[in-house]
Amino acid sequence: MTLVYMNMALAFTISLLGLLMYRSHLMSSLLCLEGMMLSLFVTMAVTILNSHLILANMIPIILLVFAACEAALGLSLLVMVSNTYGVDHVQNLNLLQC
Amino acid sequence: MNLFTSSTLLSLLILTMPIMASNFNSYTKKSYPNYVKTMVSYSFLVSLIPTMMFIQSGQEMMISNWHWMTIQTLKLNLSFKLDYFSMIFMPVALFVTWSIMEFSMWYMHSDPNINRFFKYLLMFLITMMILVTANNLFQLFIGWEGVGIMSFLLIGWWYGRTDANTAALQAILYNRIGDVGFLMAMAWFLFNLNTWELQQIFTLNPTNTNLPLAGLLLAATGKSAQFGLHPWLPSAMEGPTPVSALLHSSTMVVAGIFLLIRFYPLTENNKTIQTMMLCLGAITTLFTAICALTQNDIKKIVAFSTSSQLGLMMVTVGINQPHLAFLHICTHAFFKAMLFLCSGSIIHSLNDEQDIRKMGGLYKSLPFTTTALITGSLALTGMPFLTGFYSKDLIIESINTSYTNAWALTITLIATSLTAVYSTRIIYFALLGQPRFPALILINENNPLLINPIKRLLIGSIFAGFFISNNITPTTIPQMTMPTYLKITAMLVTLLGFIVALELNMATQNLKLTPPSKYLKFSNLLGYFPTVMHRLQPLINLLASQKVASMLLDLTWLENALPKSISSFQMKTSTLISSQKGQIKLYFLSFLITLTLSLITLNIN
Repeated sequence: MTLVYMNMALAFTISLLGLLMYRSHLMSSLLCLEGMMLSLFVTMAVTILNSHLILANMIPIILLVFAACEAALGLSLLVMVSNTYGVDHVQNLNLLQC
Repeated sequence: MNLFTSSTLLSLLILTMPIMASNFNSYTKKSYPNYVKTMVSYSFLVSLIPTMMFIQSGQEMMISNWHWMTIQTLKLNLSFKLDYFSMIFMPVALFVTWSIMEFSMWYMHSDPNINRFFKYLLMFLITMMILVTANNLFQLFIGWEGVGIMSFLLIGWWYGRTDANTAALQAILYNRIGDVGFLMAMAWFLFNLNTWELQQIFTLNPTNTNLPLAGLLLAATGKSAQFGLHPWLPSAMEGPTPVSALLHSSTMVVAGIFLLIRFYPLTENNKTIQTMMLCLGAITTLFTAICALTQNDIKKIVAFSTSSQLGLMMVTVGINQPHLAFLHICTHAFFKAMLFLCSGSIIHSLNDEQDIRKMGGLYKSLPFTTTALITGSLALTGMPFLTGFYSKDLIIESINTSYTNAWALTITLIATSLTAVYSTRIIYFALLGQPRFPALILINENNPLLINPIKRLLIGSIFAGFFISNNITPTTIPQMTMPTYLKITAMLVTLLGFIVALELNMATQNLKLTPPSKYLKFSNLLGYFPTVMHRLQPLINLLASQKVASMLLDLTWLENALPKSISSFQMKTSTLISSQKGQIKLYFLSFLITLTLSLITLNIN
């Protein structure tokens, strides 16, 4: 196992920790989500290029597409929260109202 | 025999000459109305020649001139049928029209468009002649539609008046409903008998004629204002009095009955259609006689009287006596036209006053009109040996002695007595008593243009019945023997009507007016028929369509059915089943701890 795999696995783990443990801003968890996606992308691209899996060459691009969509979704939710409260502090999400 | 065809065609051609003169602007002499009237009188005199030849020889004739087209197996040509019905009706119609045109030279004297009025009257007469002399159904339909169109133009003569426009449109709509029946009959004849010629239809003598005869009955209901399609006739009194006298008393409204009479070889074999005609005619005559009892407009009373007599003609066709119905058409034309002319004279003299509650005492000031009105009313009710007697009494006798529906018989007898009642009402209110109109009016009937037509029609009302019924060829054998009480039934009920009406009028003359009872309201508002049918139906239609378009389609289906229902459903269910409190960091932390613990536990080996 080459060193880049371990590097990327470490980056993934640190981003996961950052996603699940954050203080007050929702934006920081979204950024960590992007970090997770990035590490997954690099891992996948290196694996496929090293093993010469030609048919799987498009999978990283598709992963990017889906990552972009989910980032957009996350950002729109952030904007909705920010519309109501002005800031995106997590402690504001305590009203169970639609 | 040559004289027969050529004089008939000459008589029809004379009528078209003023139309062509006005199209090419070639008549520049004195007065166009006088020219038209003279032409009609010449046409009448010429048409007497074939009539007298027919009476003398009994020979019927058919002229087939011009082959128009052949559509696969149907041959259409211009053909005239000069038989018993058309030969006798033509001089009668031309005579009545001649008198009416002379009268309208006096009545419409101050109208700036009097030339156009006479042209319209003449075009109406031409189309009526086409209808009467038609030998195939296509030509008859041309005449049929033509009289409908001219009726529209003439009823709406004073087109600035909204009521007149409404009445004209109403006439067209009701006639159109009848035309559907006519077209159905034409289609049936085309499909089953491959012809529109009357000779071929009668020769082939089809057996199951229910459908075409029902179609022709519908056409007659529309054109002759039978019950169900009757409101246009009293509304048509919005037109000038000459129009009412010509169209809606003598000539146009009898076109429907004429059509049924023309088809008598088919109707005499079909008992169902005869029963339908009998019941429809009986209902019509009673209903319109009831409505005539409480009307206050003199022209409307005479219009309802016409409608009642049309119902009587339909009853006569229903008991399989088409020739008696035709005789009644001819005699009715005389006295009904005269009644209209007399009411026109009264209206014009009283400065356009049509309400009989505002007339009175005209016995002394309009003696000639009074004479004519009373004679016409007596002829209408069937006074012995005046004109109406020869047709009306024969009809009542034959319906009394025939094997027919007892209710229809009773209703017809009641309507006969009501005829006397409303005639007495007209005479009492318009002529007798003290004047109820403002006194500063110049009443002068001393104008030959007024006196001569009424005089001619008066002589016709007295003698024409005797004249015609003595000279026509005998057709059906009348029942000669019957008990005395059946024989004098018509006279008895008429006398009863006269006496009751006179007594009621004189007894209630000076009483205080009470609020109208429900019977008076029923009779005055024409049995609520126009109120319901003219207002309720369109209201329901428009309301339903508005509700369908806006509420059903737009609001409900496009807006509420899917989008809003989905969103409201989701919101309700999410509030129902969610039990969270929004502690996001706690949830994320517990997720992380669980993940770590599971990774460690599963890799402990």
